[in-house]
This record gives sequence, C-alpha cells and structure tokens, in this order.
Amino acid sequence: MGVLREEDSCLLLDEKLLYFMDQLELLEGKRKTLNSLIEQGWFSISKARYSMGNKQVSALQFANEMEPLVSVHVRTLENDEVEFCAVRSSRKCNDEFVKEPTSIEDIGPQEEGIRRRKNTKSDVAEKKTSEDISSEKAPEVNPGRKRDHNPQQDPLKWFGILVPQSLKQAQSSFKQVIELSAEIAALQIVVLNARQELKHDLRNNDGSTGAGLNTSARSNEKEADVLSANESS
Amino acid sequence: MAGRGKLIAVIGDEDTVTGFLLGGIGELNKNRKPNFLVVEKDTSITEIEETFKSFLARNDIAIILINQFIAEMIRHAIDAHMQSIPAVLEIPSKEHPYDASKDSILRRAKGMFSAEDFR
Repeated sequence: MGVLREEDSCLLLDEKLLYFMDQLELLEGKRKTLNSLIEQGWFSISKARYSMGNKQVSALQFANEMEPLVSVHVRTLENDEVEFCAVRSSRKCNDEFVKEPTSIEDIGPQEEGIRRRKNTKSDVAEKKTSEDISSEKAPEVNPGRKRDHNPQQDPLKWFGILVPQSLKQAQSSFKQVIELSAEIAALQIVVLNARQELKHDLRNNDGSTGAGLNTSARSNEKEADVLSANESS
Repeated sequence: MAGRGKLIAVIGDEDTVTGFLLGGIGELNKNRKPNFLVVEKDTSITEIEETFKSFLARNDIAIILINQFIAEMIRHAIDAHMQSIPAVLEIPSKEHPYDASKDSILRRAKGMFSAEDFR
C-alpha cells in the first residue's frame, strides 16, 4: 500500500513538474514574440522620426488630456490564478468613423479661400460675399473643432494629421504588444503558482515518505524554511 | 474608460513610452496624474522608485510595464512586491536587450531548480 501511494504521489509530482515546464516554455515563447514586436515598433518610430524630424516624435507631442483606449479586465479564478484580458474600447472606433468625413469637409473651403490671392476689385466684392457666407458657415465649423479636443482621440493625431505610414506601423505593433503583455502577465502568475505548488508538494512528499528526489531533505529542512520565509516576506 | 477595466502603466525611456501611448494606454486622471513615466538621463532613482510605488498603490492599475534597465535600478522595490495585482512585466529597452536571468519573475521561478533545492 505504501509503495503504491508513493508511486501515485511521484506520478502526481511528475505531472505537476511537466505542467510547470510547459507553462515556462509557453512564457518564454511569448516573451520572444513580445521582444521582437517591441523592436519592430521602435524601428518604425525611428523611421517616422527620420522622415518627420527629430522633435516631431517625442514626449513633447503628448496631448494634455488623455483617456485610455485600452483597459484590462482582471478576473481572479478559483485556483488563485488571475486572468488579464486587454479590451480595446469600441467607442473610439465609432468616433473615428464619424469624425473623418466632417474633418475633410471643414478643411476644404478654408484652403480654397487662402489660395485666392489676386486683389482685383471684382475679387474684393467676391471676398465680401464669401466672408458673409463663411460667417454663416462658422457655427458649423466649430462643433468639428470641439470634437477634436475630445481626449479620447487617436494618439496618432498628437503627431499631426498626415503622419507617415511608419508611425501607423509602430502603433499597430505596439497594440499587439499591449495584448500580448496582458497574456504574459497572466502566464507569469500561472508559472509562479505552479512553482509554489510543486515546491509545497515536494516538501510534503519528502516529509511523509522520506523518498523522492531529495534524499537529504530532512537535514535541509531548516534551510528550506528560511527560503520560504524569505519568499513570504 | 471602458467598463470597469483597469489600466496598464509604463515606466520607460522616451521611445518605449511613446510607443505604448500610441497603442492607447495613456491616461491623465482627475488629479492630472499620468499612468506613465518617461525616464531620461537626469531622472533620479528616487523619482523612479516613488512613481513605481505610487503605481503599486493605485487600485486602477493592473499591469506595470518597466524597462529592464530601469527595473535593475529599483530591483529591491520590485522584489519586495509579491502580490499578483498589479503584475510587473520587465521589457527590453533600445540600448539594453532583454536578459531573462535578470527578470525577477523568472529568477523566482527558476529558483526551484537551484542546487539548494536538490541537495
């Protein structure tokens, strides 16, 4: 009976060790992807800086008002595991679709007005009428500008309206990084919990049967206690 | 903020922070306190440590991303943090590639395979 129990507990330990190793491997793989994505992001930012100018892509361009477009939903599961889920707010996307056509309409007539530079008499008369029209149109332009001050705008717009493609690429790779970092954070907790459990079981196994991987565990019990005390503090 | 979701905070060099803010994690709360810190050459370790601790104390932060070379400066504060929320994630920086042997979580996880455990 004792031998059977011992075998069972050893099998259980093996299973837990394999699970722990699997999770560790998974973590390492995701880490690699995260690191390469971040590198890609930096490369794109550097490219954008090269084409836009050194000061155009810096911390000075950050908006005065910011609202997060990504939020992390945290769920604590029964076995002390924590699940992180990065969610992108859908409101931003809807706003963008509404905003874009109005901003194009706003810019159009203003540019036309600036391009007319000849100062003939007929033009002056025309200008007066166009000014009247523009003053009538003014209230329509304002709401568009107000919407631009919305803190929940696309961060790309902090760096200008027509940003280079490389900055958009940087944004998309950092978006992926954010999603991946939530997964890695959850995986880190899984790994730590698995390790804690395994260590606890190893110690119990050694204590009850006196067999297992560690033959001189009892003599080292004090050391193990000190280690665990350090961890808990 | 969508629903009751929490935030991701970031402590890093200019490019790292810029990238993550482009990704849409930036927030300035009612007290105009940001959830990010741009570490420059003249940023003191005390300032970094204080910011890190203030992020740990905030209830609305779920994950703290920190460049590994900055984490090295405040290693004692990171090692002292044992709770699972907020989770601390060490990321590489432009000049310092990621080194798994320095990562506090992996060091803790691999600790069980040290010679002491199998003696």
